[in-house]
Amino acid sequence: METLAIDPVNIQGFNATPTYDGKTIRLALKGSADLNSKPMLDAMLEKMHPEVLRLAVREVVIDLNGLEFMNSSCFKSFVSWIGKDQDLEPEKQYKLRFLQNARMHWQSRSLNALRCFAVELIVVEV
Amino acid sequence: MSNVKPAYVELRFRPNVQLISTVRRFVSDFYEYALIDADTVSRLALATHELLENAVRNTANQESRVCIAVETVGGVDRVIIRTTNSTTPANIEILKRLFQEMNAAKDPFEYYQLLMKRTARQPEGSGLGLARIRSEAEMGLNLEVAGEEVCISATAIVTSKG
Repeated sequence: METLAIDPVNIQGFNATPTYDGKTIRLALKGSADLNSKPMLDAMLEKMHPEVLRLAVREVVIDLNGLEFMNSSCFKSFVSWIGKDQDLEPEKQYKLRFLQNARMHWQSRSLNALRCFAVELIVVEV
Repeated sequence: MSNVKPAYVELRFRPNVQLISTVRRFVSDFYEYALIDADTVSRLALATHELLENAVRNTANQESRVCIAVETVGGVDRVIIRTTNSTTPANIEILKRLFQEMNAAKDPFEYYQLLMKRTARQPEGSGLGLARIRSEAEMGLNLEVAGEEVCISATAIVTSKG
């Protein structure tokens, strides 16, 4: 099985852990995604799109259960990633499945905005 | 009858990126103290964080101030978050144009979606913060300029959890 060529991010107050099981890429986010973590998150998400294509993955799961907050700059990083997915030929596009933590009320509003932005690509699971 | 406890907090701090999340957690506790429901606390915390980051990014003298008031006026409970900082004339012009465009857009969610489309393929900057406050936090925004000092205020009508 091929492996995912993306390193996790571990800084004070924020963790991003990518894993690959041979079928699905999973990205678990924990802590606060803010100006402090933005450069590392950007670097990671820049690598994510080419890796999804290299591994021919059809779905990426983004687990927000441990994510306390995400600022608009980090939110924009996801918007940019989704934009790259949208630019692909329809048969090459992949789904982004967000696992929402219902106790983090901001997540339902932010994920609704993302889903409306790319309704054909975004799945939100509570 | 209002169940919201009138309260006021004012913080003055030297811009420090790490401080912003700390302040967001602190003001979340403050909003909970004022008996505001959990969803509204989350909206207000989001708005506070975005306003603080905006102030920290744009301050000219490294100092920003945030004032938060929970009050009842004419039987209506509301929260006003104000950030104040000095900035450059260039930044003031950018803010004025941004507010002009934002205020011309009547539907906050549609405007937010428009900005998301616009920013998706731009490598730098998001410009989403204030539109996010209007749309996700459901707050009205206002810009006041006095010389080199800018004050951005966000106002929400709130409901108590009682």
